[in-house]
Amino acid sequence: MDKQTEFVLRTVEERDIRFVRLWFTDVLGFLKSVAIAPAELESAFTEGIGFDGSAIQGFARVQEADMLAMPDPGTFQVLPWRGESQGVARMFCDIRMPDGSPSFADPRYVLKRALSKAADQGFTFYTHPEIEFFLFKQPHEPGAVPVPVDEGGYFDHTPQGVGYDFRRQAIQMLEAMGISVEFSHHEGAPGQQEIDLRYADALTTADNIMTFRLVVKEVALEQGVTASFMPKPLRDHPGSGMHTHLSLFEGDRNAFFEAGAELQLSKVARAFMAGILTHAAEITAVTNQWVNSYKRLIGGGEAPAWVCWGHNNRSALLRVPMYKPDKGNSTRIEFRAMDSAANPYLAYAVLLAAGLKGIEEGYELPDGADDDVWSLSNAERRALGLQPLPASLNQAIQAMERSELVAETLGEHVFDFFLRNKRAEWAEYRRQVTAYELDRYLPVL
Amino acid sequence: MSDIRAGRPDSPAARLARLGVADASRFVAGIAELPWWDDGLLDEVGDAPDPSAVLRTVLQLHERDPQQLPATAADPRAWRRFAQVTGVSQALAEHLVRHPEHLAILAEDAPPPDGEDLRAQLVALGTEHGRAPAGSNAAADALRVANRAALLRIAMADVVDGDPFERTAARLSDLADAVLDGALAAARAQLPADAPQVRLAIIGMGKSGGRELNYISDVDVIFVAEPGPGVDEADALRTASTLASTVMRLCGGHTGEGSIWEVDANLRPEGRAGALVRTLRSHVGYYERWAKTWEFQALLKARAAAGDLALGAAYVDAVLPFVWAAADRDGFVADVQQMRQRVERHVPARDADRQLKLGRGGLRDVEFSVQLLQLVHGRSDVMLRSPNTLTALESLATWGYVGREDAASLAGAYRFLRTLEHRIQLHRLVRSHVVPREDEDLRRLGRAMGFAREPGRELTEAWQRRAHEVRRIHEKLFYRPLLEAVARLDSGQARLTPQAARERLDALGFRDPVGALQHIEALTIGVSRRAAIQRTLLPVMLGWFADAPDPDAGLLGFRRVSDALGATPWFLRLLRDESATAQRLARVLASSRYSSELLLRAPEGVSLLADAAELRPRQSGPLTTEFVATADRYDDAAGAVASVRALRRRELFRISATDILGGLTVDDVGNALTDVADATIAGALAAAVSEVEQARGGMLPTRLLVIGMGRYGGGEIGYGSDADVVFVHDPLPGADDREAAAAATLVVNTLRTLLDAPSTDPPLALDTDLRPEGKQGPLVRTVTSYATYYDRWRSFWEAQALLRADRVAGDPEVWGRVRATIDPIRWPAQGVPTDQLREIRRLKARMENERLPRGADPTLHTKLGRGGLSDVEWVIQLLQLQHAHEVPELRTTRTLAALEAARRIGLLEPTDADVLSEAWRMATRIRNVVMLVRGRPSDLVPTDVHELAAVGRILGYAPGETGALLEDYRRTTRRARGVAERLFYGEV
Repeated sequence: MDKQTEFVLRTVEERDIRFVRLWFTDVLGFLKSVAIAPAELESAFTEGIGFDGSAIQGFARVQEADMLAMPDPGTFQVLPWRGESQGVARMFCDIRMPDGSPSFADPRYVLKRALSKAADQGFTFYTHPEIEFFLFKQPHEPGAVPVPVDEGGYFDHTPQGVGYDFRRQAIQMLEAMGISVEFSHHEGAPGQQEIDLRYADALTTADNIMTFRLVVKEVALEQGVTASFMPKPLRDHPGSGMHTHLSLFEGDRNAFFEAGAELQLSKVARAFMAGILTHAAEITAVTNQWVNSYKRLIGGGEAPAWVCWGHNNRSALLRVPMYKPDKGNSTRIEFRAMDSAANPYLAYAVLLAAGLKGIEEGYELPDGADDDVWSLSNAERRALGLQPLPASLNQAIQAMERSELVAETLGEHVFDFFLRNKRAEWAEYRRQVTAYELDRYLPVL
Repeated sequence: MSDIRAGRPDSPAARLARLGVADASRFVAGIAELPWWDDGLLDEVGDAPDPSAVLRTVLQLHERDPQQLPATAADPRAWRRFAQVTGVSQALAEHLVRHPEHLAILAEDAPPPDGEDLRAQLVALGTEHGRAPAGSNAAADALRVANRAALLRIAMADVVDGDPFERTAARLSDLADAVLDGALAAARAQLPADAPQVRLAIIGMGKSGGRELNYISDVDVIFVAEPGPGVDEADALRTASTLASTVMRLCGGHTGEGSIWEVDANLRPEGRAGALVRTLRSHVGYYERWAKTWEFQALLKARAAAGDLALGAAYVDAVLPFVWAAADRDGFVADVQQMRQRVERHVPARDADRQLKLGRGGLRDVEFSVQLLQLVHGRSDVMLRSPNTLTALESLATWGYVGREDAASLAGAYRFLRTLEHRIQLHRLVRSHVVPREDEDLRRLGRAMGFAREPGRELTEAWQRRAHEVRRIHEKLFYRPLLEAVARLDSGQARLTPQAARERLDALGFRDPVGALQHIEALTIGVSRRAAIQRTLLPVMLGWFADAPDPDAGLLGFRRVSDALGATPWFLRLLRDESATAQRLARVLASSRYSSELLLRAPEGVSLLADAAELRPRQSGPLTTEFVATADRYDDAAGAVASVRALRRRELFRISATDILGGLTVDDVGNALTDVADATIAGALAAAVSEVEQARGGMLPTRLLVIGMGRYGGGEIGYGSDADVVFVHDPLPGADDREAAAAATLVVNTLRTLLDAPSTDPPLALDTDLRPEGKQGPLVRTVTSYATYYDRWRSFWEAQALLRADRVAGDPEVWGRVRATIDPIRWPAQGVPTDQLREIRRLKARMENERLPRGADPTLHTKLGRGGLSDVEWVIQLLQLQHAHEVPELRTTRTLAALEAARRIGLLEPTDADVLSEAWRMATRIRNVVMLVRGRPSDLVPTDVHELAAVGRILGYAPGETGALLEDYRRTTRRARGVAERLFYGEV
C-alpha cells in the first residue's frame, strides 16, 4: 500500500468521514459521483468500484456495460461544505475495464494519454484557467429571462454585493480543498464573476475545474442564488469564457521562454501556437461544445471569432500576455475561445495535441495581428488572410469530423460518441421555434 | 622425444615456443639483452594465459624505464602476479608501461583495501585535485590513475589469488562507489564558494545496486538532492544538477589517462527526458503516479552508493514499499509478459550465438527471472528482498520458491558465465559480452579460466554446457516448483506452498490458479512412465501456455488431449522429442477454442503439428481429388459424406493451426478455406449423384452445376461462414424435363442434408437464398429457365450479386452456358445509368439503416458497420458494374483483385485503394480471428475484455494493448467510410 493510500485511510478515520464520494466525468463534462462507506475504501483502491457504464453518457453500450471506478488517492479531499466533523470526502477516479485496462471512454484517460505523449517528448503541460460564470437571483424557470444578482461591471467592488460575499466564500472553500486561487473579480456583465485558478499541470487543473464548478454551485445554493456556467445566458451582455493560459515545461525550465527572442517566445512556443491556429477550427467543437457556445463566440468583445494571434490583443484567438523581464518561467500563451462549460479534460487534451502537432511538424507561425479584429471590415480580414472560427455548432462538427488529429487525441470511441451526440444536439436545436421568431414573425406574417 | 630433449638442450626460441609463446623468435633477442634476465623467469611466463603478451610487456617496460622491472623480477610473488596479470589483461599491461611506478603494487602484502578505505582515499584525491584551475583535467586524470591502480589490485586478487566471483564483483562495486564519491568531492571543490548548500546522494542501480559490478560497464545511478537549511529548492536543485553532471563528466569523459566508465542516469523518473536530479519528495511523487512496472523492478536494486548516504538510505526506504506493491498493480501480468518478451527479443542478430548477456538464457534473463520471482513473492516474504542476484537466488531456494538443485546449478552457471565475462572484459577493459571467435583469443581465455590441455575447446564446451542449463531457466525457476507444490512425495525440503503457487500462477497470467494446479496434479501424479514424462514436459509447456492469450484453456486442452492420447505410444514421444511440436500444440490450445475443438474431436490431429511441411494449406487440385476419391470408396452417400466431412475437419484444423502459428495472410486463409469448401462440395456431390443414380438404376438424366455466390464465390470465405450457392442443371438431350428436375432436386437435397447433418464434425451449411426469386424460387433451375429469369425479371441488385458468381463444382460446360447468360448482365455494356445508380445508392443506404442489428455498435460491426466489409465491397462492385464492360481486369469475383485492378488502371486513387483494402483486410482478419478465439462466429469486434485480449494477441497486439486494437479498428474503418461516402455516394 503506498503512502498516499495510507494517508487516505488514516484521514478518513481521524476526521470521522462517513462517506467518500468517488467522482468521475462523463464525455460531455458532467460530474458523476458514487458514494461509498469508509469500510469499502480499501477494496475500492485495490479492485475498484463496479458500475454500469451504459448509464453514463458516452461510456458504453449496454453489452459492454461493466466498468470500474478506481479512485486516485492523490486527489483525496474532505468536502468543506458538509461540516467539519462527520464529513464527506471525495476522490477523482480513473475508469477501467473489468480486466483493469484503462477505458478509452474516460475523459481523464484521454487527457492522460495526451499528457503522456507530451511526456515522451520531454514536456509537461501547465494550464491556468480564468473561469467566468453568472450569478442569478432565482433558479431558472422555463421561459423566464434570468435576473442577475447585481448591476455591477468590470472590477466593480459592489459593497455588500452578493457577488463579493460569494467570491469570498467560494475562494475559502476552494482553498480549503487545496485549490489555489490566483485572482478574482467582478466581470463585465451584471452578475458575472471571474475566479482565476493558480497554474498547475493540466490534469490537476482539469480536476480542479470539475471541483470548482461544484463548489460554485454549492456556495450559490447556500447563499440563495443560482450560479451558471452557461456560455451566453444574456443576449446583451458578454458571455462566460474560460480563457486558459498554456505553457510547456521541460523539466523545471519553461520551454516557451527564450531570452532575447521576439516576445521572449521560443521556437517551441511559436510552433505550439502555430499548431493551435492550424487546427483551431477542428478543435472548436470540443472547446466550445454547446449550441449556446457559439452565441458567445460571435458576440464580439472579449470573445475571438477569427483564427489569429496577437501580443496583448484581446480580440485574437491566442494572446501572448505582456511578459515581465526576469520571469522566464511565466512565459505562456492564452487561448481565448474556450468557455466555462467545456469538458476540461477533452479540451486540454485537444489543445495540447494541436500544439504538439505544430512542434512535431515544425509549423511556421504566421504574423501576429495587431488590430482589434472585430473592428476590421470583411474585406480587410480577407486581405489579412484571417480565417473565421466555426460560427455554429454545426460548422464546428463538420470541421471536427474531418480531423485526424481530434480523432487520434480523443480516441475513436469518444470521437464517435461526441460527434453523434453533438449532431443530435444540433438537430434538436434546429427543431426549435424560438421566442424571437414568434415575437418577430407571428404578428406580421 | 624426451630423450632427444634431454640430450640436446632447446634453442631459446624453441623453449619459448614450447611455453606457448607465439612468434617466439621475435622475443629471443630482446630478452637476451636484458641484463637481469634469468631463464628461470620463463616458468611463470609459461603459466600465464598469454605468454607472448607478458614478454611483450617486459620489453616495453624495459624500454620505458629499465630501473623498475628488475625488482619485480627478483620477487617471485610479484613476478608471478606480473606474468598472470599482464598475460590476461592487455589494458593493465599498458597501464603498467605507462605508470611503471605501479609495479610496486605487485609486491604488496596486504589484500586490496576495503571499500571505506578506498572511499576515503579517493575523496581526498578528488578534493585535492578538484581545486585545480578550470579547464584542467587534473581531477579526472588523478581519478583515472587511482581507478586503474585499484583495478590492478582487484585483478591480482581475482586472477592470481583466485578470489571467488562474488568477492571480485563486490570489490569492483566498492571501487565504483569510491570513484563516484571521489568525483563528487572534486565536483564540490569546483563549486563557487557561495554556492547554495545541497545534500546529494548517488543511488546505485542495476549491477552497482546489487554490488555485482563488472570490470567495465555503465554504472547506473539515480541522483537525489535535498536543499540545505534555508536554501531555496530551485537553487539547490540547480547546484545539485551541476554536481551530478560534473560527476558524470569526470567519470565518463576521455582524457589523456583514458576514461573510467559511463555513468548512466537514465533509470531516473521520466528517463532521458526527466530532470537529472530530483528531491526525495519529487521522486516519491513520480513513483506514486506515473511509474511503470519495469521501473519498480529496477528500483529493486536501489542502494545508497555514494554522496550523502543518509539521504540515500532515506530514498531507498521511501521507494522500496512501491517495489513490493508492484505485483498488485493493474496490468502487472501484461507488463511482465511484455518485459519477458523484450528480454528475449533484444538479441543483436550478429553475435547471437556468442552472447553471454542478452537473449533467452543469457545473463540478463537470469537476473530478470530472479527479480520477477522477487516481485511476485517478495511482498509476502521479506526473506527474498536482496538486490544481489546470487543472494536472492539462494534465498529463493532456501525458502522453497525454486528447487534447491536447480538453483544450485543455475548459480554455478551464473558464476561461470559472469567470470568468463570478467575475463573477456579484463583483456582490454572494454565493455563486451561476446565470446570471441578467434582461436588465439579463445586460447587465452581458456587458459585464464583454468583450462590447460586444449584451452579453447575445453572453454567452449564448458560454456555451452552452462549456457544450456541457463537456457532452461524459466522451466526451472517458474514452472518446475509448481509441480513440486502438487507432488505428494515429501522430499523433506522446503517447497512452494499452495498459496505461493497460486500467487505465481496468477502472475504468469492463469486466471484460475486453483484449477490449473489440479490439472498439473492430475497430469504429473503417479509413478507411471507417462507421469514421469509429463513431469519433464509440463514445466516447458506451462511456459508456452503462459506466453499465449489463454493459459487456462491451453492447460485444460492439453490435459484433455493427454487423457485421450496418453496411452498411445507416440503421443508423449512426439512431444518430448520434438519440442517444436509441443510448442505449436501449446500455442494452438492456448489461443483458439475453434482449433482446440477440432483437435479434441480427433486428437490424432496432433501429428499434423509435428511436421512443418504439413503446416501449409494443400493445393486445391489434389485436395479435391482426395475428397472425391474418398467419397467414391463408400457405397452409401451418408458414409461418404461423413468421411468427406472428417477430411474437411482435418483440413480446417490444419488451416486454423497454421493461421494461429502465424503462417498465413488473411488472403491465404480465404483461399484455403474456399478450396476446402470446394473439395467438400465436390466430394459430397459425387456421393449424392452416385446414390441417386443407384436408386434410379441408371445415369442421371441431367448435368449439375454448383455456383458459388457472395463471399464464397469471391474466394473469401471465413472459418464461420455459410457457403452461398446456386444450383443449376441442364437436362441431357432427350431427357424428360420433369424427370430431370426431380433427379436434380433429389441430388441437391441429399447433398444439403448430409453436409448439414448432426455429427461430431462441423457442418457446412449451404445457403441458397441468392437463387433467382430467392426463397420462393425452385431450388434447382435449368440453364434455360435461369437465363429466362434473368432476361425478364432480374432487378439490378441481382446483377450486382452475379458479380461474385463462380463455379465451385459440377459440369464446366454448363458453367460456360450460364456465363453466356450472366456476363452481359453483371458487366453491362452501358455501365450504370443514372437512375440505376440512384437506386443502388438508395438500396445501400436503406440496408445500413435496417440490417444492422438493434443495439449493435456500428463502429464495431465488421460486416455492415461503418467502413466495414459491405462499405468496401459496394464501392468496388459499383466500379465493376460501371466499368467492367470496358476494362477486362475488373472481371473478377474477388474484392481485393478488383480493387487492385481499379487501382492499376486509375479508377481508384492509390491512397483510397490503400484505405479500402486495409479496412477490408482488417475486418476480414478480425472475423476470422474472432471465430478462432470463440469457436462461434460473430459479426462484431468483441467487447468482452478477455475475448478482445485474446483476439488482440493473435493479431499481434502486446498484452495490455487491447484498447489499441479497438482504436485501430475504429480508425481504419472510419477512414474507409470516408472514402466510401465520397466514392459510392458521390459526396464531397
